[in-house]
Amino acid sequence: MSGILCAIRGGPASQPTISLAIETAKKYDLPIYFLYIVDLDFLASTNSSRLQTISEEMVEMGEFILLATQTQAEREGVTAHGVVRHGDVSKEIVALGLEVNANYVILGKPKEEKTNVFTHDRLHSFAEIITEKTGAEVLFAERNQ
Amino acid sequence: MRAHAFVRRFLFLLVLLGAFFTTSSSQPATTHAQEDDFTRLILGEILDGQNSPVEGVEIVALAGEEEIGKTLSQPDGTFILHLEKSDFETLSLDFQRAHFAEQKIDLFPQEIAQIQKGGTVTLPPMTLTRRIGPVFWIVTAIFIAMLVVIAAGHLHNTLAALLGMSLIFAISYLGEPLSEKLFIFQFERSLSYVDWNVIFLIMGMMIVIAVVERTGIFQWLAFRSYKLSGGRVWLLLVILMFVTGIASAFLDNVTTMLLMTPITIQIAIALGINPLALLMPEVFASNVVGISTLVGTPTNILIGSYGNISFSEFLVNLTPGVLLSMAGLIGYSLYVYRKDYRVASEISPKMLERLEERGQITAPENLKKAGWIGLGMILLFVFGEHIELLPSVTALIGATALMVWIKPDIEEMIEAVDWTTLVFFISLFVVVGAVQEVGLISLIADWIGKLVGENLILAMIIIIWLGGLLSTVIANIPFTAAMLPVVGFLTATIPGAETKVLFYCLSVGSAMGGNGSLIGASANLVTAGIAERAGYSISYLYFMKKGFPALIITLMIATIWLLIRF
Repeated sequence: MSGILCAIRGGPASQPTISLAIETAKKYDLPIYFLYIVDLDFLASTNSSRLQTISEEMVEMGEFILLATQTQAEREGVTAHGVVRHGDVSKEIVALGLEVNANYVILGKPKEEKTNVFTHDRLHSFAEIITEKTGAEVLFAERNQ
Repeated sequence: MRAHAFVRRFLFLLVLLGAFFTTSSSQPATTHAQEDDFTRLILGEILDGQNSPVEGVEIVALAGEEEIGKTLSQPDGTFILHLEKSDFETLSLDFQRAHFAEQKIDLFPQEIAQIQKGGTVTLPPMTLTRRIGPVFWIVTAIFIAMLVVIAAGHLHNTLAALLGMSLIFAISYLGEPLSEKLFIFQFERSLSYVDWNVIFLIMGMMIVIAVVERTGIFQWLAFRSYKLSGGRVWLLLVILMFVTGIASAFLDNVTTMLLMTPITIQIAIALGINPLALLMPEVFASNVVGISTLVGTPTNILIGSYGNISFSEFLVNLTPGVLLSMAGLIGYSLYVYRKDYRVASEISPKMLERLEERGQITAPENLKKAGWIGLGMILLFVFGEHIELLPSVTALIGATALMVWIKPDIEEMIEAVDWTTLVFFISLFVVVGAVQEVGLISLIADWIGKLVGENLILAMIIIIWLGGLLSTVIANIPFTAAMLPVVGFLTATIPGAETKVLFYCLSVGSAMGGNGSLIGASANLVTAGIAERAGYSISYLYFMKKGFPALIITLMIATIWLLIRF
C-alpha cells in the first residue's frame, strides 16, 4: 500500500491542499487518503453533556466532507479514500501515514491564526517529524486567501 | 467507574433535595414560642426602599436600657413582638439588619398604655434605609468580574459562577470575624435565593431532550426540509428557519443547534453553497423563536418562575411578536445572503443518497413515545396553571414517565443531565442573591425607577433595548437573573405594568440580544465551533456584521408588537 495522505478540514481553505493532492496523485499515479479529524474542543466553552451524540454527528459530517472531496478527486480520474479519526491532529497524521505507507503527505500552510494548531514554525518542525517517522515527503500547499 | 459516577450524581441530587426541604421548612423558633402568648403584642411590617418586605430584621424592645422582647421579621416582612413584662414607662424599638442602617423608634404613651393593659399595638409599615458599606463594593466587584470572565471566555461559565459563589462565602465567613462589616449572608439564607423550580425544570427537560435527540428526528427534519423545498434554496432557508425555531421553542437552543448544524452543513455542501448562508439564519431563528414558550430559553424559565408567568401566557403574548420578527429575519437573511443562494447547484445522486441515508428516523418507537409524552407535557404546562401545577413538576413527571415507558439505560440518562449547567445556575443564584442582599439591585431599581417615573412605555423601551444591547456583550442568563428583582420592582410601582409586560420585555431583550454578537448566546458559539470544524469560520466580527442588523430588526419589530399588545 502506498499513496498520498492529505488531512483536510473542508471549506475554501482546504481547496489548495486538495488541489495539490490531486495534482500530485496524477503525477505519480497514486491514490489519495483524505483524512478528517473529529475535534470537539469547541464544546469546552459551552455546557454540554451530549458528547456521544455530538461526536457521532461530527463523524457523519466528516464523512460527508470527505465524500464531497473524494467526488472531486474522482472527477479528475484519481482514486481517493476517506478516513475519519478522533484525537490529536499531529498524532493521527503520523499514524495514518504509517498505516497507508504514505509516499507524500500534503499539508496546507495556514494563515497565522491563534486558533490553528500549526503556526508556520511549528508546521516545518512537524513536517520533519512526519518525514522522520513515516519516510514520506511533505509537500506544502499555499493558501490563496 | 460509571456506577461510581452514578452514585456520586445520585448523592448530589439527594443533597439538592435535602437543601430544598431544609430551607423551605426552616422557621425561627421564636415565632412558635410567641404564638403561645397573645398578650402584650406589637405587630408590624418592615419594607425596603422598593416597598419589598425585608426578612430577618432583628427587632428588640427596650424599656429604658432593659431588653424586654426580641423577634425577627418573617419572609413577608411582618413581625410579632411579644413583651415579657408590662411595668415600664418608656418603650422603644430597635431595628437591626446587615446591609441596612440601624433604626430606632419610640412608642407613643397611648400605645404603651394599650400594651400595659394586655392589648396589641399595630405599627404602620416601616421602611429601612440601605447602608452602602465596603461589602457592597466587594460583592459588586465580584459580580462584575464574574460577568467579564464569562464574556471573555477566560473560565468556563460554571467555574466562573462557582468562583464567584466561593468568594462570597469566603468573605462572609472568613471576613466577618475580622470585621462585621464584611458579613454578606449565612449559607442557609443564600440557599433561599436558589430557585429550585428553575433547577428541576431544566433537569426534567434535559432528560426529555436526551431521549428525543437520539431518535434521528433532527436529521429527518433537515432532509425533509430539503425535499420539501424541491431544491429552491430560498424555500429551504424558510423551512429550515421554521424547523429550527419551532424545535428551539420546545427544546434548548444549544441542543437544537448542535444537532441541526452538522446536517445543515452537509446539505449546503451538497448544494454547493456557503453553509454560513443557512447556518446564520438558523441560529438567528433559534435565538428568537425560543422566547415564545416558557421552556424555550433558560432566560424564559427564570422569568416565568420569578414573574409567575405560565406557559400559555408566554405563548399568547409573545408568539405573534416572534412570528413577525421571524418574517423580518427571513427577509433580512434572503437579502444578505442573496449572492450565496444564487450559486446553488443540483445535488449529485451520490450525495443525495448519502443525505437520504442520514435523514432517517433511527428510533421510531422511542420517537412515538416521546411524542405522546411531549404532548402530555404541553397539555400539563398549559392547563396545569389552573391547579397551580409548577412547570418543574410537569417536567419531572414527563421525564420520569418517558424513562419508565422507554426503559433506557438509566445511567446514560443521568449522564445526559448537564450537571455543569445546573451547578452554574445554583452558583449564579447565590451570587445574584448576594448582590441583592447588599443592595446593588435596589440601587439599580431606584435609578431606573427615577429615570422612567410612571412612564410604562419608556420603561418597556429601556428594558427591551438595554437587555438586547447588554446581552450582546455579557451573558444573558446572569444579566436576566440580576434584572428580575428590578423588573419586579418596576412592575409593582409603574401603573399599567401589572400585566407583567416588563417581564416580557426582559424576555425579548435578553434572548434576542443573543443575535448581536458571537458571545451573545451559547448556541452561537456551538454553531461557530461546528462550522469551523467544517472549514467555515465564523469570526466575532463576521457574526456581528451579520447579527447586529438582525438584532436591531427583531428588537424593533418586537418593541412595536409589545407596545400594541399592551
